[in-house]
Amino acid sequence: MYSRRRLLQTTSCGFGYLALQSLCSGESGSGMHPVPAVTARAKQVIFLCMSGGPAQMDTFDHKPQTGKKPHPGSVYRFRPHGDSGLMISELMPETARHADRLCVINGMHADTGIHAQSFLQLHTGDRLRPRPSLGSWISYGLGTENRNLPGFISLNTSKSSIYSSGFLPSIHTGTPIGVNGENMSTATISNVTGGEASLDFQRKQLDLIQSLNHRHLQARPDDGRLESVIQSMELGFRMQSQAPGLLDLSNETQATLDRYQVGQQKPGVGTCKDTDFGRQCLLARRFVEAGVRFVEVNHGSWDQHKNHRRDLEANCDATDAPIAALLDDLHQRGLLDETLVIWGGEFGRPGLVPGDGKDETGHNSNGFTFWLCGGGTKGGYVHGRTSDTGDPRLCRRKVPLRSSRHDPAPDGTRRRTSDILARRQTPPTHPHRTRRRQSCS
Amino acid sequence: MIRSGIIFSWCLLLTAFAASAEDADIRQDRAFFENRIRPVLVAHCYECHSEASAEVGGRLLLDSRSGMLSGGEAGPVLVPGKPDDSLILLALKHDGIEMPPDRRLSDAVVRDFETWIGRGAFDPRTDPAPHAGDAATSETDKPDAAELWSLQPVTVPEVPPVQDDQWATDPIDRFVLAKLEAESLRPGPDAEDAILVRRLFFDLIGLPPTVDELEAWSPRIQQNRTEGITALVDDLLSRPQFGEHWGRHWLDVARYAESNGNDGLGRNPTFPHAWRYRDYVIAAFNSDMAYDQFLREQLAGDLLPAETPQDRDRQLVATGLLAMTAKPAKAMNNNFDMDVVADQIDVVGRGVMGLSVACARCHDHKFDPVPTRDYYALAGIFASTETMWGVAGHEGLTAPPTDLHVLKATEGIKPPDNFVETVVLTESDTGKPKKIPKSRWPTGAALAMGVRDKKEATDLRIHVKGEPTKTGDPVPRGFLSAIAVTDAPVAAPDATGSGRLQLAMWLTKAEHPLTARVMVNRIWMHLFGEGLVRTPDDFGVYGDRPTHPELLDHLASRFVQNGWSVKSMIRAIALSRTYQISSCITDPEQNVAADSRLLQTHQRRRLDAEQFRDAVLAVCGDLDLQPARGSIIQHRDILVNLAGNLHQPSRHRSLYLCYLRNSPPPELAAFDLPDFAAVQSQRTQSVIPAQALFLFNSSLMQEQSKQLAEIIQADQSDPRTAIRLVWREVLQRNPTDQEAQQAADFLNSTSDDRTELERWAGLCQALLASNEFRYID
Repeated sequence: MYSRRRLLQTTSCGFGYLALQSLCSGESGSGMHPVPAVTARAKQVIFLCMSGGPAQMDTFDHKPQTGKKPHPGSVYRFRPHGDSGLMISELMPETARHADRLCVINGMHADTGIHAQSFLQLHTGDRLRPRPSLGSWISYGLGTENRNLPGFISLNTSKSSIYSSGFLPSIHTGTPIGVNGENMSTATISNVTGGEASLDFQRKQLDLIQSLNHRHLQARPDDGRLESVIQSMELGFRMQSQAPGLLDLSNETQATLDRYQVGQQKPGVGTCKDTDFGRQCLLARRFVEAGVRFVEVNHGSWDQHKNHRRDLEANCDATDAPIAALLDDLHQRGLLDETLVIWGGEFGRPGLVPGDGKDETGHNSNGFTFWLCGGGTKGGYVHGRTSDTGDPRLCRRKVPLRSSRHDPAPDGTRRRTSDILARRQTPPTHPHRTRRRQSCS
Repeated sequence: MIRSGIIFSWCLLLTAFAASAEDADIRQDRAFFENRIRPVLVAHCYECHSEASAEVGGRLLLDSRSGMLSGGEAGPVLVPGKPDDSLILLALKHDGIEMPPDRRLSDAVVRDFETWIGRGAFDPRTDPAPHAGDAATSETDKPDAAELWSLQPVTVPEVPPVQDDQWATDPIDRFVLAKLEAESLRPGPDAEDAILVRRLFFDLIGLPPTVDELEAWSPRIQQNRTEGITALVDDLLSRPQFGEHWGRHWLDVARYAESNGNDGLGRNPTFPHAWRYRDYVIAAFNSDMAYDQFLREQLAGDLLPAETPQDRDRQLVATGLLAMTAKPAKAMNNNFDMDVVADQIDVVGRGVMGLSVACARCHDHKFDPVPTRDYYALAGIFASTETMWGVAGHEGLTAPPTDLHVLKATEGIKPPDNFVETVVLTESDTGKPKKIPKSRWPTGAALAMGVRDKKEATDLRIHVKGEPTKTGDPVPRGFLSAIAVTDAPVAAPDATGSGRLQLAMWLTKAEHPLTARVMVNRIWMHLFGEGLVRTPDDFGVYGDRPTHPELLDHLASRFVQNGWSVKSMIRAIALSRTYQISSCITDPEQNVAADSRLLQTHQRRRLDAEQFRDAVLAVCGDLDLQPARGSIIQHRDILVNLAGNLHQPSRHRSLYLCYLRNSPPPELAAFDLPDFAAVQSQRTQSVIPAQALFLFNSSLMQEQSKQLAEIIQADQSDPRTAIRLVWREVLQRNPTDQEAQQAADFLNSTSDDRTELERWAGLCQALLASNEFRYID
């Protein structure tokens, strides 16, 4: 019978073990990849998760009227942007400045139009059962670049299944900042501060704890878990030295805070909640700069059923400038080449018919939109197409949340990005089985 | 492909047999279909459009006649006699839709399809018995129910002979020893007295012994081990803390929670009356209610006769088990009712029987012997049941408000006079404050979540692929067909009732192969860290096999024979020699088993979230052993997500904290709490930095270590004695000289920037954070 450690050492040429080792020791494991067909450039990911189902036809999937009879389509004005002439709606004027950097994917599809299930599928590939989250896979696969920080951070997050490491070692679990509607202007990593003692005092205290633990371990040398506790105590301690500084925005200039609209969120409108999206985006930049592999930021809800226009405008207004500021900064700092930014939600919405006065939409899980930016993706480019009315029943080409036999990616770059988002994650065991004891051992 | 080929030729064979009876026309159509159409479908379409597909494209099935006629997301793909109206032909022509997606098939094939549809699209394929794939698949690939170990009747195995006749104290030990001896191994040494006492305290009541208790029991055990341990076990089993600790284990199975959890739209309504179910469970374990009765009350308490009004109330509260569902939002979800039913089936399936039935909602279970038919037989029972969760935070988009059980013999709890609801609910679409509707019950009425029968019971139709809009045959309400409880047949659900009572009776028949096995396995797991079956909620084909099958059956039959007494079962196991084995082998001479499943050594375990908090409070002198009354949310029908953090500091045991889904008690959250949305009988034991941060900085750790430091200081002894005292309080032992020296060094080296109290608190905290404190040997 294989022990977990032995299993990790042997499966996939010991890749998992190397990743784990590098997380524990602080060295990047990226040198250990098998050589991919296309050189991957993305080293870290920022996922701008727009929960609730953003209306693609009023933002990035332009649907002009085509016939004599009005049909569902875009109800906001679109115009071409940048050299590429990418069509972007008037609701996203700031993001539109980056048109030539965006790779828009239309015709995404999810298996269900039920929010919770689709949201889980978006994050884990499975809509029903607990599985490792996207960020956990990235952290697991690429290791860490900063021994003082976790590999996966999820801001303004919801249930733990969204950032769980599933059957992967638990050190790849996302570290949440702000859960379930917490005030995002103040949300922080639980207990990362709070002690009154100085770090120096705590270091001495930790030395005492570790010496007790080492002696305890000596009498129980067969227990790998006790060893991993010792390691994770160190990581926890080190997080205290760097994470509070990263979470403290006081060393940013007022101009930067203004560009990101930090703390300037208007009170929530309808479904649009105050999530201090500006602070989230700025924190995402700071984490990525510090070497965190995967940062997810969340805004919602884009589930504007009854007051479609009012709530959609509020959602766009709350997110447009912060996203543009984030892309500006990543570009300026030369980080965009190696940072993949992903924008999208668990599904989209059917379109309204211009001029018929209706202001109510539902869910469309068969033809919605994501965009990618940076990380080697092709900018100013639109991939995939939905029908002229965006009718979910008539979507011809579908880009699923998972890889699909129907839609081989036209070039390697995109293949890779859609893989990151979408790969059907093969578990080491039968999918219906949940692994227990996810320790670092 | 190979399998498709086999299926194909098998079908041809069948075809040949049947053909003689048919007239020439049909024979011709059949031959056309088999030669020209079916091979194309098999070769080019089945990969994505059949029951066997990993993922069905467009929800379209092309492997049955009905699948083609009913079509997928894009509607019907086949109109017999009308090729031009048939989507499948357009797709083959790559006209608007392109199928197969990779390349267009030849014109000849397209013409064949045109001809075939024009001639009426003859299709001999019948529906696979409800969507189980071709019959060949089910015969060759499906494990036979008759073979699944867990469905075999529980036997009473003979106690095996062993070479070492002295070691065993209970038949349990002989089963374990026989396996060890077969591997030429000896069991590990007995655990030291102090370690055993600590282990028993944590395992039976979830609390550490005090120094005094430890020092009182250790010599008694030393004097006469059997007598001493027996006395200790009996003492612990009789304490009210026993029911709290073991009740908490059951609450994990019951996915007990005090709020619905995020409904998918960020709304999380409270369950203000759920705590009554918690108290019911604690009381049931403390009174050693027979496990079969315990199950019957929870599944059908409302249908059981009650001798007293108090019994009646208790039985109504028990049905809360079925009302704790983590419901997805009602809005836009026409599956809502069936989602609730699915959760109830899961509680009965994995929670009681260790069998996952949920997959059969959409298709025959791929591995376990649970056909879709059985699922809808069970679903009919719950669909004929009214589930009462309450007003769901007065938010209709989350869940429609329901009635609640009114407890007639139970005293209500009125809110305090100055109670004002501070959480303002808002209209979901306008964001304006919502007027709180007047309660339909008198203020402070004693209410409980639960279930009762609907006025009319109905059988359900199979929902094809789980879709309520596509229904198949009606299925009479009933139980799982693979489990035959033959010795004493239980009445089938009758026309008048839902059938829950009959279901409860069926589950608790002594002959039921799963109910007792699953429970004794969980008891074993809580005492040993792992069950004899290491997948405690999955006794199916893909679950683990028992490491000691005879022992499992011995325990299961013994459990039933002893009247399903949980306390007796725990007592027997705790008194066995096996339980008392040390967690490490120090004798270099002894051969060490490579496989922990042989039970040569006891498994070391981390304190779970509740045990850890309780232990911290206990050793720091701050634990209030009185049960907490009610819950902090007992008067609040609100959406928790709008309420911020409702949790309040408490000195009571952890299980009395407020178990809100998605907003768990912060003092517990770092240590692998389940999400309480589904059955999970075994806690995970992750090791993550968030735990380290909790140990360094949480208010619990800061305050409690300060509290202990104050107690130590009040003692006014010299530093050496004080250090000794810290060790004794926290670890219930004296420090070694080296440890005492290190502690003294720590206190001295930090004198610059911290007060004396703070330094002592730092020392206490270090011990509370140490592995020795947090792990049970």
